[in-house]
Amino acid sequence: MEHLTYDIQSGDFGGAGAASRDLKQHLKRIGAESDAVRRAMIAAYEAEMNVVIHTEGGRLEATVSDGQLDVDVVDRGPGIPDVPQAMREGFSTASSEARALGFGAGMGLPNIERNSDRLRVTSAVGDGTRVSFSIILRPEAADQGARPSSLGIAAELCRDCRHCLAACPTAAVRVREAQPSVLYHLCVDCTCCIAACDPGALTLLDAPDGLVPGADGVLAVPPALLAGFGDHAVDTVLEELRGLGFAEVVSVHRYEDELRRSVLDLAATSALPAPVISSVCPAVVSLIELKFPSLVPHLAPLASPWEALQRDLGERDVTYVVSCPSQRTALLAQQPTAQRRTVTPRLVREAVLPRLAARRRAAGETPAPQPQAAGADDLLVVTGVSHVLAVLEQIEDGRLTGVASVEPFICDGGCFGSPLLGEDAYVAAWRWAAAAGSAPGEGRSYERARPYRPRPGIRLDPDMAVAIRKLAELDAETKALPGRDCGVCGAPTCAALAEDIVMGRAVRALCPYVTPEEGSAS
Amino acid sequence: MKLEDIARELGLTELTPKVTGNSEADIERGYASDLLSDVLAHAPEGGVLVTLQVHLNVIAVASHAELAAVIFAGDRRPDDEVCGKANAEGVSLFVSPADTFDVVGRLYALGVKGNHA
Repeated sequence: MEHLTYDIQSGDFGGAGAASRDLKQHLKRIGAESDAVRRAMIAAYEAEMNVVIHTEGGRLEATVSDGQLDVDVVDRGPGIPDVPQAMREGFSTASSEARALGFGAGMGLPNIERNSDRLRVTSAVGDGTRVSFSIILRPEAADQGARPSSLGIAAELCRDCRHCLAACPTAAVRVREAQPSVLYHLCVDCTCCIAACDPGALTLLDAPDGLVPGADGVLAVPPALLAGFGDHAVDTVLEELRGLGFAEVVSVHRYEDELRRSVLDLAATSALPAPVISSVCPAVVSLIELKFPSLVPHLAPLASPWEALQRDLGERDVTYVVSCPSQRTALLAQQPTAQRRTVTPRLVREAVLPRLAARRRAAGETPAPQPQAAGADDLLVVTGVSHVLAVLEQIEDGRLTGVASVEPFICDGGCFGSPLLGEDAYVAAWRWAAAAGSAPGEGRSYERARPYRPRPGIRLDPDMAVAIRKLAELDAETKALPGRDCGVCGAPTCAALAEDIVMGRAVRALCPYVTPEEGSAS
Repeated sequence: MKLEDIARELGLTELTPKVTGNSEADIERGYASDLLSDVLAHAPEGGVLVTLQVHLNVIAVASHAELAAVIFAGDRRPDDEVCGKANAEGVSLFVSPADTFDVVGRLYALGVKGNHA
């Protein structure tokens, strides 16, 4: 861990860039991947220029830990009266001197957001502004392409059944000595291991302070939650959710509709290669960046429904009930100025179920839902990880023709099928279909704030010569293993164990079928 | 196209003869802008920038955006301090008497394209 501090002088246009340049040298020295270095420099330079142009001076502090760069830029005022306005591209209050030099085009903060993995901006007028951003570095070759993840691990609950190993679509899970762990450079933040883990050792990170209603608070929910309380009508559930102490309860469903409309519009204009793939599920987006980088151009450059909803909620105090890790990760990566937290559906169910039961006792009500057919021409909806993988393979091979756009969901049955929801996917979806027409709310679609970025995933070494040597070792290790993919070693397949051995994460002796003589040769 | 060939074809004056690493560099992409944040956001890595800005910050931006070269259009010349900084950072600087539009047009004709071509 390394801590660096730089003072930045107000109006020092000549000296600006010194901090970010020095930071760059440090990052290069520790072997951070070049794309991460470039993004870090652009973000740090913009933050530095902001202090020079707009403030009384300030300080840039950078902390480099093994996997991440955290930068904190604090200035001595005057502060920003309207932070969301400052975040909008094109808004600027720069002096004519700054503008003459080609700054003050209102691109600074948006540029920082685009190039960082997380950003938070807070400001007090008269006091100053704090811009904090993080960039995932992962210097070791094996961890390149790591992303922030919202998968929580409660190792003490692990029963060593190892069902998670086979469930993971990217072979990212390991279980060694009854301790599950995740290779974050391979994790796509989906729900497959959570669904496979009965004891709940693999789960979704929850808000540390639980469910905190507030007089101005908004509770943002997925339709699957609203339709997930047995025969309680959606309207009733909405009312009881508000009754928990929230000023407003909003559902994301209209944003799903708007995204679908925008994707179909995009497909109609032929601006993207066919089929256009919807960005509805952040886990599938992550899967494409990792395993199907050639399909990145097919992805609609649009925010997911949750991200779009978050933009509209702006600076309000919002609790998001998310049904998977990828939604949580996406929400926390954007809207850096907002009051927001995410909670699991379980937390909300536990709070609202007693209220619904009490209401039922007081006066019974029985809804009579009539599911209605919904569907759109030219749209292929695919749900479940094995089907999504198969369809992406078909697109990659050019075998899927006649489809204008694809709407892929990692969970079986779409977001209704998340293992984190209490109701069965088919029951909840059927009930929602009956109620959706009358459910209140509106939506829109937005362009993405950050560009898609293919992830290298498995790269044995940044030095190609070393990588080639390791590839030969990998071949030899794979041949030495029995190919039974039994999982006893704690890796999902023999190929995954071979890679772990070559990357120094495991030893051949973990394999029960390799005799000690052979094992000791490794 | 190699940077030295571009310089010859466009009749550019080189300001940083000490920067030698780039002359053999293959330039495929370019960007033209006088807004430095815009350059940071969109200029292609390893590419060439055409701009009217001749102050010190251009070098910082070119270095951060990992550009190979900057062409100053309209016969605008940076001072010695800027050239010295460019030498230190390994950014090649050139001056053209032509205006931005013509410089970009000639680059395009030589096969140097933008981000979306």
